[in-house]
Amino acid sequence: MTTTAATTATGTPVVGFDQVSKTYGSVRAVDGLSLRLHPGETVALLGPNGAGKSTTLDLLLGLKQADTGTVGVFGMSPREAIVAGRVGAMLQSGGLMDEVTVRELVKLACDLHPKAYKVADVLARAGISQIADRKVNKLSGGQAQRVRFALATAGDSDLIVLDEPTTGMDVSARQAFWATMREQADQGRTVLFATHYLEEADAIADRVLVLHRGRLLADGTAAEIKAKAGARRISFDLEGEIDEAPLRALPFLTVIDVSGQTVRIQSSDADATVHALYGLGVYPRNLEVAGLGLEQAFVAITEAEEAKQS
Amino acid sequence: MNALIKLELARALRNRKFLFFSVIYPSLIFLLVASQGGSNATVDKTGLSVAAYVMVSMASFGALTAVLMGNSERIAKERESGWVRQLRLTTLPGRGYVLAKTASAAVVSLPSIVVVFLVAASVKHVRLEAWQWFALTGAIWAGSLVFAALGVAIGYLASGDAVRPITMITYFGLSILGGLWWPSSSFPTWLQDIAKWLPTHAYAALGRAIEQSQAPKAQDIAILVVFFALFVGGAAWLYRKDTLKA
Repeated sequence: MTTTAATTATGTPVVGFDQVSKTYGSVRAVDGLSLRLHPGETVALLGPNGAGKSTTLDLLLGLKQADTGTVGVFGMSPREAIVAGRVGAMLQSGGLMDEVTVRELVKLACDLHPKAYKVADVLARAGISQIADRKVNKLSGGQAQRVRFALATAGDSDLIVLDEPTTGMDVSARQAFWATMREQADQGRTVLFATHYLEEADAIADRVLVLHRGRLLADGTAAEIKAKAGARRISFDLEGEIDEAPLRALPFLTVIDVSGQTVRIQSSDADATVHALYGLGVYPRNLEVAGLGLEQAFVAITEAEEAKQS
Repeated sequence: MNALIKLELARALRNRKFLFFSVIYPSLIFLLVASQGGSNATVDKTGLSVAAYVMVSMASFGALTAVLMGNSERIAKERESGWVRQLRLTTLPGRGYVLAKTASAAVVSLPSIVVVFLVAASVKHVRLEAWQWFALTGAIWAGSLVFAALGVAIGYLASGDAVRPITMITYFGLSILGGLWWPSSSFPTWLQDIAKWLPTHAYAALGRAIEQSQAPKAQDIAILVVFFALFVGGAAWLYRKDTLKA
Protein backbone atom coordinates (compact mmCIF):
# COMPACT_ATOMS: atom_id res chain seq x y z
CA MET A 1 0.00 0.00 0.00
CA THR A 2 1.27 3.48 -0.73
CA THR A 3 1.50 5.83 2.15
CA THR A 4 1.44 9.55 1.73
CA ALA A 5 3.82 9.70 4.65
CA ALA A 6 6.68 8.26 2.66
CA THR A 7 6.60 10.97 0.03
CA THR A 8 6.21 14.02 2.23
CA ALA A 9 8.30 13.01 5.22
CA THR A 10 10.48 16.06 5.61
CA GLY A 11 11.16 18.16 8.67
CA THR A 12 9.28 17.95 11.94
CA PRO A 13 5.98 16.14 11.61
CA VAL A 14 2.85 17.94 12.76
CA VAL A 15 2.08 14.95 14.93
CA GLY A 16 4.43 12.13 15.76
CA PHE A 17 3.40 9.03 17.72
CA ASP A 18 6.22 6.66 18.48
CA GLN A 19 5.24 3.22 19.84
CA VAL A 20 2.52 4.70 22.02
CA SER A 21 0.50 2.45 24.32
CA LYS A 22 -2.24 3.25 26.78
CA THR A 23 -3.93 0.64 28.97
CA TYR A 24 -7.02 0.91 31.17
CA GLY A 25 -7.04 -2.00 33.54
CA SER A 26 -6.85 -5.01 31.24
CA VAL A 27 -7.94 -3.14 28.11
CA ARG A 28 -5.27 -1.95 25.71
CA ALA A 29 -6.95 1.13 24.30
CA VAL A 30 -3.92 2.08 22.24
CA ASP A 31 -1.40 -0.61 21.41
CA GLY A 32 2.04 0.31 20.12
CA LEU A 33 0.74 3.03 17.84
CA SER A 34 3.19 4.84 15.58
CA LEU A 35 2.10 7.48 13.11
CA ARG A 36 3.12 10.77 11.59
CA LEU A 37 1.00 13.59 10.26
CA HIS A 38 2.45 16.11 7.84
CA PRO A 39 1.65 19.76 7.18
CA GLY A 40 -1.48 20.40 5.16
CA GLU A 41 -2.87 16.88 5.33
CA THR A 42 -6.51 16.24 6.04
CA VAL A 43 -6.53 12.98 7.89
CA ALA A 44 -9.45 10.85 9.01
CA LEU A 45 -9.00 8.55 11.95
CA LEU A 46 -11.48 5.85 11.08
CA GLY A 47 -12.58 3.01 13.26
CA PRO A 48 -15.55 1.40 14.94
CA ASN A 49 -16.58 2.38 18.46
CA GLY A 50 -13.99 1.23 20.95
CA ALA A 51 -11.20 1.22 18.37
CA GLY A 52 -9.18 3.66 20.45
CA LYS A 53 -9.87 6.81 18.43
CA SER A 54 -10.80 9.02 21.35
CA THR A 55 -7.92 7.76 23.45
CA THR A 56 -5.54 8.47 20.56
CA LEU A 57 -6.82 12.03 20.31
CA ASP A 58 -6.69 12.48 24.09
CA LEU A 59 -3.04 11.40 24.03
CA LEU A 60 -2.36 13.75 21.14
CA LEU A 61 -3.91 16.66 23.04
CA GLY A 62 -2.17 15.88 26.31
CA LEU A 63 -5.43 15.09 28.11
CA LYS A 64 -4.04 11.65 28.83
CA GLN A 65 -0.51 10.47 29.33
CA ALA A 66 0.87 7.51 27.41
CA ASP A 67 2.00 4.50 29.46
CA THR A 68 4.86 3.94 27.05
CA GLY A 69 6.10 5.65 23.92
CA THR A 70 6.24 9.32 23.05
CA VAL A 71 3.78 11.79 21.58
CA GLY A 72 5.07 14.94 19.89
CA VAL A 73 3.14 17.80 18.35
CA PHE A 74 5.23 20.16 16.20
CA GLY A 75 8.23 18.64 17.97
CA MET A 76 6.90 19.78 21.34
CA SER A 77 4.84 18.22 24.07
CA PRO A 78 1.09 18.45 23.41
CA ARG A 79 0.67 20.98 26.20
CA GLU A 80 3.45 23.20 24.85
CA ALA A 81 1.88 23.10 21.39
CA ILE A 82 -1.49 24.15 22.82
CA VAL A 83 0.02 26.97 24.86
CA ALA A 84 1.81 28.15 21.71
CA GLY A 85 -1.61 28.40 20.06
CA ARG A 86 -0.75 25.85 17.38
CA VAL A 87 -3.56 23.40 18.12
CA GLY A 88 -7.31 23.92 18.08
CA ALA A 89 -9.44 21.02 19.21
CA MET A 90 -13.02 19.94 19.53
CA LEU A 91 -13.86 17.05 21.82
CA GLN A 92 -16.58 14.55 21.15
CA SER A 93 -18.75 15.43 24.10
CA GLY A 94 -16.84 18.47 25.22
CA GLY A 95 -19.21 20.19 27.58
CA LEU A 96 -19.83 23.87 27.22
CA MET A 97 -20.15 26.54 29.87
CA ASP A 98 -23.88 27.05 30.27
CA GLU A 99 -25.90 30.16 31.13
CA VAL A 100 -23.72 32.26 28.85
CA THR A 101 -24.42 33.24 25.25
CA VAL A 102 -22.75 31.68 22.24
CA ARG A 103 -20.99 34.96 21.54
CA GLU A 104 -19.64 35.23 25.09
CA LEU A 105 -18.29 31.72 24.93
CA VAL A 106 -16.63 32.25 21.55
CA LYS A 107 -15.19 35.51 22.83
CA LEU A 108 -13.68 33.61 25.74
CA ALA A 109 -12.04 31.16 23.32
CA CYS A 110 -10.68 34.10 21.31
CA ASP A 111 -9.39 35.81 24.46
CA LEU A 112 -7.58 32.63 25.44
CA HIS A 113 -5.97 32.09 22.00
CA PRO A 114 -2.58 33.71 21.37
CA LYS A 115 -3.32 34.13 17.66
CA ALA A 116 -7.05 34.81 17.88
CA TYR A 117 -9.36 35.83 15.06
CA LYS A 118 -12.12 38.40 15.44
CA VAL A 119 -15.14 37.02 17.28
CA ALA A 120 -17.52 37.96 14.46
CA ASP A 121 -15.36 36.13 11.90
CA VAL A 122 -15.18 32.99 14.02
CA LEU A 123 -18.96 33.02 14.46
CA ALA A 124 -19.51 33.53 10.73
CA ARG A 125 -17.11 30.80 9.68
CA ALA A 126 -18.70 28.28 12.01
CA GLY A 127 -22.12 29.32 10.72
CA ILE A 128 -23.46 30.41 14.10
CA SER A 129 -23.79 34.18 13.64
CA GLN A 130 -27.57 33.93 13.77
CA ILE A 131 -27.56 32.11 17.11
CA ALA A 132 -24.79 34.22 18.68
CA ASP A 133 -27.09 35.71 21.30
CA ARG A 134 -28.69 32.45 22.27
CA LYS A 135 -27.86 30.81 25.59
CA VAL A 136 -25.49 27.88 25.20
CA ASN A 137 -27.75 25.53 27.17
CA LYS A 138 -30.64 26.19 24.76
CA LEU A 139 -28.93 24.81 21.64
CA SER A 140 -29.77 21.73 19.60
CA GLY A 141 -27.17 18.97 19.32
CA GLY A 142 -26.03 20.11 15.89
CA GLN A 143 -25.81 23.75 16.95
CA ALA A 144 -23.76 22.80 19.99
CA GLN A 145 -21.36 20.92 17.69
CA ARG A 146 -20.94 24.08 15.62
CA VAL A 147 -20.20 26.08 18.76
CA ARG A 148 -17.56 23.50 19.70
CA PHE A 149 -16.14 23.84 16.22
CA ALA A 150 -16.00 27.62 16.69
CA LEU A 151 -14.05 27.12 19.93
CA ALA A 152 -11.59 24.89 18.06
CA THR A 153 -11.10 27.46 15.30
CA ALA A 154 -11.02 30.65 17.39
CA GLY A 155 -7.46 31.39 16.34
CA ASP A 156 -4.89 30.76 13.66
CA SER A 157 -3.92 27.26 14.75
CA ASP A 158 -1.83 25.03 12.48
CA LEU A 159 -3.53 21.81 13.52
CA ILE A 160 -7.25 21.31 14.03
CA VAL A 161 -8.30 18.17 15.87
CA LEU A 162 -11.95 17.12 15.80
CA ASP A 163 -13.34 14.09 17.62
CA GLU A 164 -16.45 12.80 15.82
CA PRO A 165 -17.47 16.33 14.86
CA THR A 166 -20.75 15.47 13.13
CA THR A 167 -22.28 13.42 15.94
CA GLY A 168 -25.88 14.46 16.44
CA MET A 169 -26.24 16.12 13.04
CA ASP A 170 -28.71 15.19 10.34
CA VAL A 171 -27.54 14.55 6.79
CA SER A 172 -27.85 18.11 5.50
CA ALA A 173 -26.24 19.61 8.60
CA ARG A 174 -23.46 17.08 8.24
CA GLN A 175 -22.76 18.06 4.67
CA ALA A 176 -22.78 21.75 5.52
CA PHE A 177 -20.33 21.00 8.30
CA TRP A 178 -18.03 19.14 5.93
CA ALA A 179 -17.86 22.24 3.76
CA THR A 180 -16.79 24.22 6.84
CA MET A 181 -14.14 21.64 7.64
CA ARG A 182 -12.87 21.68 4.08
CA GLU A 183 -12.40 25.46 4.28
CA GLN A 184 -10.07 24.90 7.21
CA ALA A 185 -8.05 22.41 5.20
CA ASP A 186 -7.98 24.72 2.18
CA GLN A 187 -6.26 27.34 4.29
CA GLY A 188 -3.31 24.99 4.53
CA ARG A 189 -4.04 23.67 7.99
CA THR A 190 -3.52 20.11 9.04
CA VAL A 191 -6.88 18.68 9.99
CA LEU A 192 -7.26 15.45 11.92
CA PHE A 193 -10.72 14.15 12.65
CA ALA A 194 -12.04 10.96 14.13
CA THR A 195 -15.09 9.35 12.63
CA HIS A 196 -16.81 6.04 12.29
CA TYR A 197 -18.41 7.02 9.00
CA LEU A 198 -16.43 5.77 6.03
CA GLU A 199 -18.49 8.18 3.93
CA GLU A 200 -17.25 11.10 5.97
CA ALA A 201 -13.63 10.02 5.65
CA ASP A 202 -14.13 9.61 1.91
CA ALA A 203 -15.74 13.02 1.49
CA ILE A 204 -13.08 15.07 3.23
CA ALA A 205 -9.88 13.24 4.00
CA ASP A 206 -6.93 12.85 1.70
CA ARG A 207 -5.49 10.26 4.02
CA VAL A 208 -7.30 7.71 6.13
CA LEU A 209 -5.89 5.92 9.14
CA VAL A 210 -7.87 2.85 10.11
CA LEU A 211 -7.71 2.07 13.78
CA HIS A 212 -8.87 -1.22 15.22
CA ARG A 213 -8.34 -2.38 18.80
CA GLY A 214 -5.80 0.35 19.35
CA ARG A 215 -3.66 -0.66 16.39
CA LEU A 216 -3.15 1.05 13.07
CA LEU A 217 -4.63 -1.36 10.55
CA ALA A 218 -4.33 0.61 7.38
CA ASP A 219 -2.95 3.92 6.25
CA GLY A 220 -3.83 5.09 2.77
CA THR A 221 -6.02 7.23 0.62
CA ALA A 222 -9.76 7.14 1.10
CA ALA A 223 -10.11 5.31 -2.22
CA GLU A 224 -7.77 2.55 -1.11
CA ILE A 225 -9.55 2.09 2.16
CA LYS A 226 -12.90 2.22 0.45
CA ALA A 227 -11.85 -0.53 -1.94
CA LYS A 228 -10.98 -2.67 1.04
CA ALA A 229 -14.04 -1.79 3.06
CA GLY A 230 -16.22 -2.09 -0.03
CA ALA A 231 -15.32 -5.76 -0.23
CA ARG A 232 -18.02 -8.36 -0.70
CA ARG A 233 -18.25 -11.82 0.63
CA ILE A 234 -18.95 -14.59 -1.89
CA SER A 235 -19.78 -18.08 -0.77
CA PHE A 236 -20.76 -21.20 -2.70
CA ASP A 237 -20.50 -24.97 -2.59
CA LEU A 238 -18.59 -27.14 -5.06
CA GLU A 239 -19.00 -30.86 -5.55
CA GLY A 240 -16.18 -33.37 -5.58
CA GLU A 241 -12.49 -32.66 -5.21
CA ILE A 242 -11.86 -28.91 -4.95
CA ASP A 243 -8.85 -27.60 -6.83
CA GLU A 244 -7.85 -24.49 -4.89
CA ALA A 245 -5.16 -23.17 -7.22
CA PRO A 246 -7.43 -21.73 -9.94
CA LEU A 247 -9.75 -20.37 -7.26
CA ARG A 248 -6.89 -18.52 -5.63
CA ALA A 249 -6.04 -16.95 -8.96
CA LEU A 250 -9.51 -15.39 -9.30
CA PRO A 251 -9.36 -11.65 -9.98
CA PHE A 252 -9.99 -9.15 -7.12
CA LEU A 253 -9.89 -11.98 -4.57
CA THR A 254 -8.53 -10.86 -1.21
CA VAL A 255 -9.28 -13.76 1.14
CA ILE A 256 -10.22 -17.36 0.45
CA ASP A 257 -11.34 -20.03 2.88
CA VAL A 258 -12.23 -23.57 1.87
CA SER A 259 -13.86 -25.82 4.45
CA GLY A 260 -15.43 -29.08 3.28
CA GLN A 261 -17.35 -28.39 0.14
CA THR A 262 -17.91 -24.73 0.96
CA VAL A 263 -15.76 -21.97 -0.46
CA ARG A 264 -15.82 -18.50 1.04
CA ILE A 265 -14.17 -15.67 -0.81
CA GLN A 266 -13.76 -11.98 -0.19
CA SER A 267 -13.47 -9.80 -3.22
CA SER A 268 -12.99 -6.14 -3.88
CA ASP A 269 -14.99 -6.52 -7.12
CA ALA A 270 -17.54 -9.27 -6.66
CA ASP A 271 -19.00 -8.96 -10.17
CA ALA A 272 -15.66 -9.59 -11.82
CA THR A 273 -14.79 -12.40 -9.44
CA VAL A 274 -18.08 -14.23 -10.00
CA HIS A 275 -17.81 -13.75 -13.74
CA ALA A 276 -14.32 -15.30 -13.71
CA LEU A 277 -15.55 -18.08 -11.43
CA TYR A 278 -17.99 -19.30 -14.07
CA GLY A 279 -15.14 -19.04 -16.57
CA LEU A 280 -13.31 -21.76 -14.62
CA GLY A 281 -15.90 -24.26 -15.81
CA VAL A 282 -17.08 -25.16 -12.30
CA TYR A 283 -20.71 -25.31 -11.18
CA PRO A 284 -21.04 -23.29 -7.97
CA ARG A 285 -24.19 -24.11 -6.00
CA ASN A 286 -25.93 -22.03 -3.32
CA LEU A 287 -24.06 -18.98 -4.55
CA GLU A 288 -24.40 -16.01 -2.23
CA VAL A 289 -22.90 -12.55 -2.60
CA ALA A 290 -23.21 -10.24 0.37
CA GLY A 291 -21.84 -6.80 1.12
CA LEU A 292 -19.72 -6.17 4.17
CA GLY A 293 -20.75 -3.51 6.66
CA LEU A 294 -18.09 -1.24 8.00
CA GLU A 295 -17.66 -3.41 11.09
CA GLN A 296 -17.14 -6.48 8.92
CA ALA A 297 -14.97 -4.47 6.59
CA PHE A 298 -12.66 -3.78 9.50
CA VAL A 299 -12.57 -7.46 10.27
CA ALA A 300 -11.89 -8.11 6.59
CA ILE A 301 -9.00 -5.67 6.62
CA THR A 302 -7.72 -7.24 9.83
CA GLU A 303 -7.81 -10.72 8.31
CA ALA A 304 -6.13 -9.49 5.16
CA GLU A 305 -3.40 -7.84 7.20
CA GLU A 306 -2.90 -10.90 9.35
CA ALA A 307 -2.81 -13.16 6.28
CA LYS A 308 -0.16 -10.89 4.79
CA GLN A 309 1.96 -11.12 7.93
CA SER A 310 1.77 -14.91 8.33
CA MET B 1 -7.52 34.07 32.90
CA ASN B 2 -9.14 37.48 33.37
CA ALA B 3 -11.42 36.65 30.47
CA LEU B 4 -12.68 33.57 32.27
CA ILE B 5 -13.10 35.44 35.57
CA LYS B 6 -15.11 38.10 33.77
CA LEU B 7 -17.36 35.54 32.14
CA GLU B 8 -17.79 33.55 35.37
CA LEU B 9 -18.79 36.78 37.10
CA ALA B 10 -21.26 37.79 34.44
CA ARG B 11 -22.78 34.36 34.76
CA ALA B 12 -22.96 34.48 38.57
CA LEU B 13 -24.55 37.93 38.54
CA ARG B 14 -27.12 36.73 36.03
CA ASN B 15 -28.12 33.76 38.16
CA ARG B 16 -30.97 35.12 40.27
CA LYS B 17 -31.31 32.05 42.46
CA PHE B 18 -27.64 32.11 43.35
CA LEU B 19 -27.73 35.84 44.04
CA PHE B 20 -30.82 35.49 46.20
CA PHE B 21 -29.31 32.79 48.38
CA SER B 22 -25.92 34.39 48.74
CA VAL B 23 -26.83 38.09 48.88
CA ILE B 24 -30.45 38.58 49.99
CA TYR B 25 -31.12 35.46 52.06
CA PRO B 26 -28.51 36.11 54.80
CA SER B 27 -29.95 39.60 55.33
CA LEU B 28 -33.45 38.17 55.66
CA ILE B 29 -32.35 35.66 58.28
CA PHE B 30 -30.49 38.46 60.01
CA LEU B 31 -33.68 40.50 60.30
CA LEU B 32 -35.61 37.48 61.48
CA VAL B 33 -33.13 36.40 64.17
CA ALA B 34 -32.08 39.86 65.30
CA SER B 35 -35.69 40.80 65.94
CA GLN B 36 -36.11 38.00 68.47
CA GLY B 37 -33.95 39.57 71.17
CA GLY B 38 -34.98 42.92 72.64
CA SER B 39 -33.05 45.92 71.36
CA ASN B 40 -31.00 46.09 74.55
CA ALA B 41 -30.42 42.39 75.02
CA THR B 42 -26.85 41.16 74.86
CA VAL B 43 -25.53 37.73 74.01
CA ASP B 44 -24.04 36.22 77.16
CA LYS B 45 -20.39 36.79 77.91
CA THR B 46 -19.69 38.71 74.70
CA GLY B 47 -21.32 41.98 75.74
CA LEU B 48 -22.50 42.39 72.15
CA SER B 49 -26.06 43.24 71.27
CA VAL B 50 -28.03 40.47 69.59
CA ALA B 51 -28.05 42.48 66.39
CA ALA B 52 -24.28 42.99 66.37
CA TYR B 53 -23.72 39.32 67.22
CA VAL B 54 -26.05 38.01 64.54
CA MET B 55 -24.73 40.49 62.00
CA VAL B 56 -21.31 38.85 62.02
CA SER B 57 -22.90 35.38 61.95
CA MET B 58 -24.98 36.22 58.91
CA ALA B 59 -22.25 38.10 57.04
CA SER B 60 -20.07 35.03 57.54
CA PHE B 61 -22.92 32.76 56.51
CA GLY B 62 -23.54 34.80 53.35
CA ALA B 63 -19.90 34.71 52.34
CA LEU B 64 -19.80 30.99 53.09
CA THR B 65 -22.86 30.43 50.88
CA ALA B 66 -21.40 32.37 47.97
CA VAL B 67 -18.03 30.65 47.89
CA LEU B 68 -19.04 27.12 48.87
CA MET B 69 -22.10 26.84 46.62
CA GLY B 70 -20.45 28.78 43.84
CA ASN B 71 -17.56 26.37 43.67
CA SER B 72 -18.67 22.87 44.58
CA GLU B 73 -21.72 22.22 42.43
CA ARG B 74 -20.47 24.06 39.39
CA ILE B 75 -17.08 22.39 39.38
CA ALA B 76 -18.63 18.96 39.76
CA LYS B 77 -21.13 19.67 36.99
CA GLU B 78 -18.60 21.14 34.59
CA ARG B 79 -16.16 18.36 35.29
CA GLU B 80 -18.82 15.87 34.25
CA SER B 81 -20.05 17.77 31.22
CA GLY B 82 -16.50 17.93 29.86
CA TRP B 83 -16.17 21.71 29.99
CA VAL B 84 -13.12 21.37 32.24
CA ARG B 85 -11.54 19.11 29.60
CA GLN B 86 -12.35 21.59 26.86
CA LEU B 87 -10.68 24.35 28.88
CA ARG B 88 -7.56 22.21 29.15
CA LEU B 89 -7.26 22.58 25.38
CA THR B 90 -6.78 26.32 25.76
CA THR B 91 -3.81 28.34 26.95
CA LEU B 92 -5.47 28.68 30.34
CA PRO B 93 -3.05 27.29 32.93
CA GLY B 94 -4.24 24.17 34.76
CA ARG B 95 -5.04 25.96 37.98
CA GLY B 96 -6.64 28.86 36.12
CA TYR B 97 -10.06 27.27 36.14
CA VAL B 98 -10.15 26.82 39.89
CA LEU B 99 -8.69 30.27 40.51
CA ALA B 100 -11.21 31.91 38.20
CA LYS B 101 -14.06 30.13 39.96
CA THR B 102 -12.79 31.19 43.37
CA ALA B 103 -12.14 34.76 42.26
CA SER B 104 -15.62 35.16 40.87
CA ALA B 105 -17.15 33.58 43.97
CA ALA B 106 -15.17 36.04 46.07
CA VAL B 107 -16.58 38.95 44.10
CA VAL B 108 -20.12 37.77 44.79
CA SER B 109 -19.35 37.15 48.47
CA LEU B 110 -18.34 40.77 49.00
CA PRO B 111 -21.84 42.22 48.41
CA SER B 112 -23.34 39.47 50.56
CA ILE B 113 -21.20 40.72 53.45
CA VAL B 114 -21.82 44.39 52.76
CA VAL B 115 -25.59 43.99 52.35
CA VAL B 116 -25.88 42.36 55.79
CA PHE B 117 -23.86 45.23 57.27
CA LEU B 118 -26.04 47.84 55.57
CA VAL B 119 -29.24 46.19 56.76
CA ALA B 120 -27.83 45.83 60.29
CA ALA B 121 -26.72 49.46 60.43
CA SER B 122 -29.87 50.97 58.92
CA VAL B 123 -32.63 48.73 60.29
CA LYS B 124 -31.15 47.46 63.56
CA HIS B 125 -28.95 50.48 64.29
CA VAL B 126 -25.75 48.55 64.80
CA ARG B 127 -23.02 51.13 65.41
CA LEU B 128 -19.31 50.41 65.13
CA GLU B 129 -16.16 52.47 64.59
CA ALA B 130 -15.16 53.04 60.98
CA TRP B 131 -12.05 50.85 61.35
CA GLN B 132 -14.21 48.05 62.71
CA TRP B 133 -16.45 48.06 59.65
CA PHE B 134 -13.45 47.85 57.36
CA ALA B 135 -11.68 45.24 59.45
CA LEU B 136 -14.85 43.16 59.64
CA THR B 137 -15.35 43.28 55.89
CA GLY B 138 -11.73 42.38 55.26
CA ALA B 139 -11.60 39.56 57.82
CA ILE B 140 -14.85 37.93 56.74
CA TRP B 141 -13.97 38.29 53.10
CA ALA B 142 -10.48 36.86 53.51
CA GLY B 143 -11.75 34.10 55.78
CA SER B 144 -14.20 32.96 53.13
CA LEU B 145 -11.23 31.70 51.10
CA VAL B 146 -11.06 28.75 53.51
CA PHE B 147 -14.52 27.69 52.36
CA ALA B 148 -13.82 28.48 48.74
CA ALA B 149 -11.05 25.89 48.93
CA LEU B 150 -13.48 23.46 50.57
CA GLY B 151 -15.93 24.08 47.72
CA VAL B 152 -13.24 23.24 45.18
CA ALA B 153 -12.35 20.07 47.06
CA ILE B 154 -16.01 18.93 47.13
CA GLY B 155 -16.37 19.79 43.46
CA TYR B 156 -13.52 17.46 42.59
CA LEU B 157 -14.49 14.80 45.13
CA ALA B 158 -18.15 14.25 44.35
CA SER B 159 -19.97 13.87 41.10
CA GLY B 160 -23.47 13.55 39.72
CA ASP B 161 -26.28 13.37 42.17
CA ALA B 162 -23.98 13.15 45.16
CA VAL B 163 -22.68 16.72 44.94
CA ARG B 164 -25.78 18.49 46.13
CA PRO B 165 -26.40 16.41 49.27
CA ILE B 166 -22.71 16.47 50.18
CA THR B 167 -22.58 20.22 49.70
CA MET B 168 -25.80 20.74 51.65
CA ILE B 169 -24.75 18.54 54.57
CA THR B 170 -21.38 20.27 54.74
CA TYR B 171 -22.95 23.69 54.35
CA PHE B 172 -25.71 23.32 56.94
CA GLY B 173 -23.53 21.24 59.24
CA LEU B 174 -20.79 23.83 59.29
CA SER B 175 -23.22 26.75 59.54
CA ILE B 176 -25.33 25.36 62.37
CA LEU B 177 -22.65 23.59 64.39
CA GLY B 178 -20.28 26.50 63.95
CA GLY B 179 -22.82 28.73 65.61
CA LEU B 180 -23.70 30.89 62.62
CA TRP B 181 -27.43 30.42 63.16
CA TRP B 182 -27.68 30.22 66.92
CA PRO B 183 -24.92 31.16 69.33
CA SER B 184 -22.96 28.01 70.08
CA SER B 185 -23.15 28.98 73.76
CA SER B 186 -26.76 27.77 73.62
CA PHE B 187 -25.57 24.26 72.67
CA PRO B 188 -25.12 21.45 75.23
CA THR B 189 -21.56 21.34 76.52
CA TRP B 190 -20.52 18.28 74.55
CA LEU B 191 -21.63 19.95 71.34
CA GLN B 192 -19.84 23.14 72.29
CA ASP B 193 -16.66 21.15 72.65
CA ILE B 194 -17.03 19.96 69.07
CA ALA B 195 -18.21 23.29 67.71
CA LYS B 196 -15.22 25.26 68.87
CA TRP B 197 -12.93 23.26 66.59
CA LEU B 198 -14.97 23.95 63.48
CA PRO B 199 -13.66 26.42 60.92
CA THR B 200 -17.00 28.23 60.80
CA HIS B 201 -16.86 28.82 64.56
CA ALA B 202 -13.35 30.26 64.31
CA TYR B 203 -14.46 32.29 61.30
CA ALA B 204 -17.32 33.99 63.15
CA ALA B 205 -15.20 34.38 66.28
CA LEU B 206 -12.74 36.40 64.19
CA GLY B 207 -15.45 38.91 63.32
CA ARG B 208 -16.77 39.07 66.88
CA ALA B 209 -13.31 39.81 68.25
CA ILE B 210 -13.19 42.82 65.93
CA GLU B 211 -16.62 43.96 67.17
CA GLN B 212 -15.36 43.71 70.74
CA SER B 213 -12.23 45.67 69.79
CA GLN B 214 -10.13 42.70 70.80
CA ALA B 215 -7.31 40.93 69.07
CA PRO B 216 -8.51 37.67 67.49
CA LYS B 217 -7.70 34.56 69.49
CA ALA B 218 -4.61 32.72 68.33
CA GLN B 219 -6.53 29.45 68.51
CA ASP B 220 -9.14 30.68 66.02
CA ILE B 221 -6.52 31.88 63.57
CA ALA B 222 -4.65 28.61 63.93
CA ILE B 223 -7.85 26.62 63.27
CA LEU B 224 -8.57 28.63 60.13
CA VAL B 225 -5.01 28.28 58.86
CA VAL B 226 -4.99 24.52 59.46
CA PHE B 227 -8.34 24.03 57.73
CA PHE B 228 -7.26 26.23 54.84
CA ALA B 229 -4.11 24.15 54.38
CA LEU B 230 -6.17 20.93 54.61
CA PHE B 231 -8.76 22.06 52.09
CA VAL B 232 -6.25 23.47 49.64
CA GLY B 233 -4.12 20.34 49.93
CA GLY B 234 -7.15 18.11 49.46
CA ALA B 235 -8.42 20.16 46.53
CA ALA B 236 -4.99 20.08 44.86
CA TRP B 237 -4.69 16.33 45.34
CA LEU B 238 -8.20 15.65 44.00
CA TYR B 239 -7.62 18.04 41.12
CA ARG B 240 -4.46 16.21 40.08
CA LYS B 241 -6.18 12.85 40.39
CA ASP B 242 -9.04 14.06 38.21
CA THR B 243 -6.66 15.50 35.61
CA LEU B 244 -4.81 12.22 35.25
CA LYS B 245 -8.05 10.29 34.92
CA ALA B 246 -9.83 12.58 32.46
